[in-house]
Amino acid sequence: MSSATKLRLGPKKNVWPYLLITPALAVILLILGFPVFRLITLSFQQFGLAEIVSGIPTWVGFDNFQALLKDPEFWIVLRRTFIFTFAMVAASIVIGAWLAHLMLRMNTILRWLLNTTLILVWAIPALVGISIWKWMFSFEFSIITSTINRLGFDFAQRNWFTNTFSGFSIIGGVVVWGAIPFITISIYAALTQVPKELLEAAAIDGANSRQIFRSVILPILLPIYVILISLSIIWDFQVFTQIWVLLDNRPASEYYTMAIYAFEKSFGLSEYGMGAAIALLMIFSLLGVTWFYIKKMVRIGDGNA
Amino acid sequence: MHRKSSVYANISGFFAIIFMGFPVYWMVTTSFKNRQDVLSTEPTILPRSFTIENYQNAFSREGFYTSLRNSLIVVLITVAISLFLATFASVAIARTKFTGKRSFISALLIVQMLPLSALIIPLFLLLTRLQLTNTIGGLALTYVAFILPFTIWTLRGFLANIPTDIEEAALVDGCTRVQAYRHVLLPLMAPGLVATAIFAFIQAWNEFLLAYIIMQSQENLTLPVWLASFTTRTGTDWGPLMAASTVTAIPVVIFFSLIQKRIATGVTAGAVKG
Repeated sequence: MSSATKLRLGPKKNVWPYLLITPALAVILLILGFPVFRLITLSFQQFGLAEIVSGIPTWVGFDNFQALLKDPEFWIVLRRTFIFTFAMVAASIVIGAWLAHLMLRMNTILRWLLNTTLILVWAIPALVGISIWKWMFSFEFSIITSTINRLGFDFAQRNWFTNTFSGFSIIGGVVVWGAIPFITISIYAALTQVPKELLEAAAIDGANSRQIFRSVILPILLPIYVILISLSIIWDFQVFTQIWVLLDNRPASEYYTMAIYAFEKSFGLSEYGMGAAIALLMIFSLLGVTWFYIKKMVRIGDGNA
Repeated sequence: MHRKSSVYANISGFFAIIFMGFPVYWMVTTSFKNRQDVLSTEPTILPRSFTIENYQNAFSREGFYTSLRNSLIVVLITVAISLFLATFASVAIARTKFTGKRSFISALLIVQMLPLSALIIPLFLLLTRLQLTNTIGGLALTYVAFILPFTIWTLRGFLANIPTDIEEAALVDGCTRVQAYRHVLLPLMAPGLVATAIFAFIQAWNEFLLAYIIMQSQENLTLPVWLASFTTRTGTDWGPLMAASTVTAIPVVIFFSLIQKRIATGVTAGAVKG
């Protein structure tokens, strides 16, 4: 778009855009902006049931943060969250990319079937997916346990969540299962968009398949991977509902991730100030990890018009 | 990019279909099994019975119709308001230049990254103060705010692909700016608006955590929260739960299949073009 074809706004140049964004901005500021500000102030306060009633908070400076950083449980939860996030992101990206590349080499019927299955899974509401997995791994009538037994192992009835490793594997399984369709379909779409002429030209110029991958395909795919990995980190880091519902709304402390920990401190123990401090630390870790992505997206949005 | 099909790819693909599709298959078949089959300790992959009693059971269960109604009302209000507001805001971003635009865009993106489980703490306190907890209006207002950034961003993407020449021609022909937007740009945006509306619908329909915290009383539940309430201390009614899950999923599956292509390209389009 050249600047000559751009719409000119005339003398009222500066009023229009602000009128257009004000209503949306107002709602966002009230429901998202103010809570962010409140989250920050809350983290410097002692705020419990008494403070909700009286409406007068007690300022405690950095006490909440100090207490947290001294609490060994905080570090265990933080480490657990990072490991769990990394495992889920890695699994969903690797499996997703692997399937996308396989789709290029499948026969037409299988590819169509896989694509349809992926879209179906993608469309399943998170809570429905959780219910299904809960059913598949249920204590008494689990299809998974009985299948394993039929293969010759003897598990009898088994509560998969007494062991945190198998418990987290199932929680991660729900998340990854739900995330794969979006990742596979995005990468597959990108792969099919690699122009044939480019590949042919590279081949004619004598490039071998590794060189073609490195200098033709990879540059096209790289931005997609950056977006998919960033989005996966953002989504997986804050996984809440899967843990909460799979563990019947009362997860044991071995299942605390940052999201659950902040929630329990606030709504379980009514220590809203402490919960806010955890939540704030969680946001900072997340922003740090995804900084690159935000910068790129802002550039894209700004470049238009 | 398609190459000749390989045996390895076909076999892997076959197993991928089985593994990915099985949970959905298991939900649907369980929902049509009779009680004895559902509660069998030796479940079989192929169903041995067919009944719709799980569906009757789920529909007659306390709270189904109220939560269905609540879900529909909240979702429709959310979609209408967020689309209305997002249309204006997206035109501003895609068609005009203004001071603070970059900050506005950054805010939209950063806001989408804020973990819901973090924001819910001050949000709950705010809504309590405004006496909006346990009200349809309070939940809808919250949904609008959470969905707006994405809808604005998506509509911006659609607008970026509509050439400005057409509006310009209208301006040259003597249209005012408002007329040009309303009669020229808006019809061109229609497909994008439909896709975005469906996406907003799905988001609001599926949302659990906010509804769980904001709507506490039994007559105010939405469908996902009602679904989560199937498990009580005495156990879970698996048959009816799978029937209810199937019913909850159906509208989303239908809507989703309509817009799937747009969403897939929409999310990553910026990366290739930008």
